[in-house]
Amino acid sequence: MEVRLVGQPFVADRELAEFTSGLDGEGAVVSFVGIARSLSATGETVERMVLESHPRLTLRSMEQIGQAAIDRFAVSALRIVHRFGTLLPGEPIVFVAAASDHRRAAFEAADYVMDRLKTDALFWKREDTDSGRRWIEPRDDDHVARDRWSEKCPE
Amino acid sequence: MKIIFFGKLRDALGDQSDLAVAEGETVAQLRRRLAELHPVASRDLLNPGVRACVDDMIVGEDFIFGDHDRVEFFPPLSGG
Repeated sequence: MEVRLVGQPFVADRELAEFTSGLDGEGAVVSFVGIARSLSATGETVERMVLESHPRLTLRSMEQIGQAAIDRFAVSALRIVHRFGTLLPGEPIVFVAAASDHRRAAFEAADYVMDRLKTDALFWKREDTDSGRRWIEPRDDDHVARDRWSEKCPE
Repeated sequence: MKIIFFGKLRDALGDQSDLAVAEGETVAQLRRRLAELHPVASRDLLNPGVRACVDDMIVGEDFIFGDHDRVEFFPPLSGG
């Protein structure tokens, strides 16, 4: 597993190429790239996004999410790269890649990691738009997405 | 004790402030005191979605401060 918190723009294609070149015969790779949007949820033009992180706990939270994915799904390799700092629209925010022998585990692991990064990784996201700055909080559907992965208690 | 803020709280209150915390004071009591001291951010300081962190661990409202030298306040998270 490789988990990185980076302060400069990264190239998602390069991440995917490096990830794939390190594999050992797996039959499936699923990757996801999250990109800074140019419009806010309410339609304003976004000038920049600021992703604030914690000096110790942000990376730790990402590693815990990655380890949970490996424990839960039959993935043999996982890479998570997440930006912090100031981003411009169009820049990648997050890259996730998962590899497995068969496709289902890789799809599920990437989906799981993204849902948990949204609500459980230590980041605080601010959009600076042409009409002011606004801190973004998880939406109800982000929590619903994360809760899909919750274990059910035995009845 | 150092009170360290992140995200929206940092915008309103700055990176950190120093405040004497009485031995035996709880997180809930400290929050109410901070909210009185900083009316501009009182709604966020009292928001149950804002969590306190001591020694790199999230703590509950009934956590009692001892000889700790810092507490951090985390607004709701938004990564990805």
